[in-house]
Amino acid sequence: MDRRAFLEEIAKWSAGLFLTSPQFRITQELLAAEQPLPKVAIGTGTDPAALVKLVLAPFGGMKAFVKPGNRVVVKPNIGWDRRPEQAADTNPEVVKAVVSLALAAGAKEVFVFDNTCNEERRCYHQSGIKPVLEGMKNVRCDYIDKRKFVPVNIARGKSIHKWLFYRDALEADCYINVPVAKHHSLARLTIGLKNIMGVIGGHRGKIHHNIGQNLADLNTVIRPAVTIVDATRILLRNGPQGGSLRDVKVLNTILASPDVVAADAVATTLFGLKPAEIPATRAAAAMGLGEMDLARIQQIRV
Amino acid sequence: MKYRPTTRTFRRLSQLSFLILFFVLFRKTDYSGSDTLPYAVNLFFRWDPLVAATVMLATRKVILILLPSLFVILLTVILGRVFCGWICPMGTLLDWLDKGIHPQKHPAVHLRKIKYLLLIVLLISSAFSLQLIGFLDPFSLLVRGAAFSIDPMLNWFFTGFFDTIYAHAPAVADHVTEPIYSVLKNGLLPFRQSYYFLSSFSLIILIVIGALEKLGKRFWCRNLCPLGALLAVFSRWSFFRRIPATSCKNCPKCAPNCRMNAFDPDTGKLHHEECNLCMDCVDDCVNQSPRFAFTKRNNPVPVDLSRRAFVGSALAGIALPVVAKVNAESRIPHPLLLRPPGVENELEFLSRCVRCGECMKVCIENALQPCFFESGYQGMFSPRLVPRLGYCEFNCTLCGQVCPTGAIPRLTLPAKQKAVIGIAVFDINRCLPYANGIPCMVCEEHCPTSKKAILFRDKLVVNRMGEQALVKQPYVREDRCIGCGICENKCPLPGESAIRVFTTNRDNTGADEGYSG
Repeated sequence: MDRRAFLEEIAKWSAGLFLTSPQFRITQELLAAEQPLPKVAIGTGTDPAALVKLVLAPFGGMKAFVKPGNRVVVKPNIGWDRRPEQAADTNPEVVKAVVSLALAAGAKEVFVFDNTCNEERRCYHQSGIKPVLEGMKNVRCDYIDKRKFVPVNIARGKSIHKWLFYRDALEADCYINVPVAKHHSLARLTIGLKNIMGVIGGHRGKIHHNIGQNLADLNTVIRPAVTIVDATRILLRNGPQGGSLRDVKVLNTILASPDVVAADAVATTLFGLKPAEIPATRAAAAMGLGEMDLARIQQIRV
Repeated sequence: MKYRPTTRTFRRLSQLSFLILFFVLFRKTDYSGSDTLPYAVNLFFRWDPLVAATVMLATRKVILILLPSLFVILLTVILGRVFCGWICPMGTLLDWLDKGIHPQKHPAVHLRKIKYLLLIVLLISSAFSLQLIGFLDPFSLLVRGAAFSIDPMLNWFFTGFFDTIYAHAPAVADHVTEPIYSVLKNGLLPFRQSYYFLSSFSLIILIVIGALEKLGKRFWCRNLCPLGALLAVFSRWSFFRRIPATSCKNCPKCAPNCRMNAFDPDTGKLHHEECNLCMDCVDDCVNQSPRFAFTKRNNPVPVDLSRRAFVGSALAGIALPVVAKVNAESRIPHPLLLRPPGVENELEFLSRCVRCGECMKVCIENALQPCFFESGYQGMFSPRLVPRLGYCEFNCTLCGQVCPTGAIPRLTLPAKQKAVIGIAVFDINRCLPYANGIPCMVCEEHCPTSKKAILFRDKLVVNRMGEQALVKQPYVREDRCIGCGICENKCPLPGESAIRVFTTNRDNTGADEGYSG
């Protein structure tokens, strides 16, 4: 190769490199303003099953989220070895209602699981969630299988960039987030955004070192189709596991929203707090994961 | 030829049934979705007369849950050592082992007095409240070997095999292997992989017992087993015996084949207390001359125990409790030796605990672990809580339910939730909010008492970046902490936790003066 050919080649290659189509990472922060106002449905009543149906109605019912043949994940909070009335885990009646509606909407299979904090068998039984789902067809309420945690690169993560996620959650056609709203001393409250802790593996304690941003980062990976917040009874103190009925307040309330941040924001008001006081809500809103400004959330009482 | 079942068939059926029972109870020694265990999974210890004798002597109390042992005594007084031949799972396993190991014929008979000597040491030292039965009780050895090594090893092997296929083989393979795996998981394998201290030691003990079999059939049962010795003593009153009480002269069949080597090699006389009624001599006899029947109690030969040996072992039985007293561990109790919930007095605990391993098997968090020398040699294999491995689950009372002797009291849930195991102490040199100004509240989050024993203060600190930061610094409310150890278990620091559970000073240390105050 002579000098002329060499320079020619160089020119061609560099032209090629420069002229390839440019990539822009348009972050959702920039697009947020164009989105319509997110809706949050709030209902009150003593029959959890009927209530779940009611709060989903404004969005077109469960059919809006679950398509026939879908593999659906219903992710309650089963983190603690506590009885339903102690308000540390999602109300089993709410879980059952969500699962039944998903099946009625044509779900092929519904998976219910959580990576628990206490011993998993005790949590699943004591929370009432495993017993209440017993005998339901096409419903699997299995314990976490450690082999199913896969490393996921968190492309949009600001604080964490890689973490282990549960495969069933990643592969779900429809992921329904069913958190319980309760007190948490570090995160202030644990609602929808924090419920993602139950589908991740690894050393989860490390999440606490920058809990707001870390939870927001994790929530960029799994975006629930709908978040149904169980506030049938809420834990006001000594969260996240409580234990004493003194700390429990019965509200008979359920919220639903396709926007997890908006659902958390509205649920926060049940505790007399402002959404911006919750680090995770703040961080998630800043990343454009949803709306936390109550004035910009359309609250629908059902 | 028409098949006619022999006595051997029935004996083997009986042995197999009790062995299966043993392993079913072993597998059922686990949480099953209900707070109380539906079966008496500790049955083998509750009918073990050696357990009953030593524990009642050591505690000077009648322990009602051990009364089934009277049944075994009664059985022995009527039928002789039928327990050893037809029931004991250790004996059954050794019989099976013989098929592969081909024991030496004509084993030595002079060793069989050792079991009486050991029995005397155990009984006399237990009368002085030293409980040594855990070293020699066949069920303790078996359950511990199974729980600490064999069961975890099997699980390790099978899960390793199936996980490798799951991770590396093409997805089609999963359709074949995963159903098999789930069947195994749902019955034969334990729920989770557990880990134990002394797992190799526990297995080695079983291997040694098995290897001794080479020196003669039922070497352990004939020469070492103190339970066998106790039953042998009682069987001298029994009146269901072999007739005639001697072997036939010049017949090569029964005496050399006797698994208990019960015939005197010189005179051919039957040591009835050695006979475990396997009745092979009846089945194999060419003349059909011997039989077993109810007969007069005559013991033609004395028990192989000289007065000298008796006195010697009795003296050893007295010396051992005393040497345990002058052991330095009794002066400076191990600061991290945490006993199961409800155990209040260390000395009483050690005198009651038979080291059966049931509590460590059932502990759902794999938190209870066998001691090595933390409480002296006399405490070896007794349970201790190791929070970094597993914590005491707040709503669980299983260890008290499976304890066959009440060493771990059977507590109601509210009582258990107040039972103090130890006290959590922060290491503020390592705890992140103190040492690095990093927020972390994992211990507080997990603290299970309903008014939390871990609280925090807001503190303005300079963090690693040199910035001022407001962090929550945790501290322990000692009056609320029960020492369950979940904080130590969940602390996200690598290696040693920044919060550790220490023994309390609340008079459960066993030291009555000095160091512990």
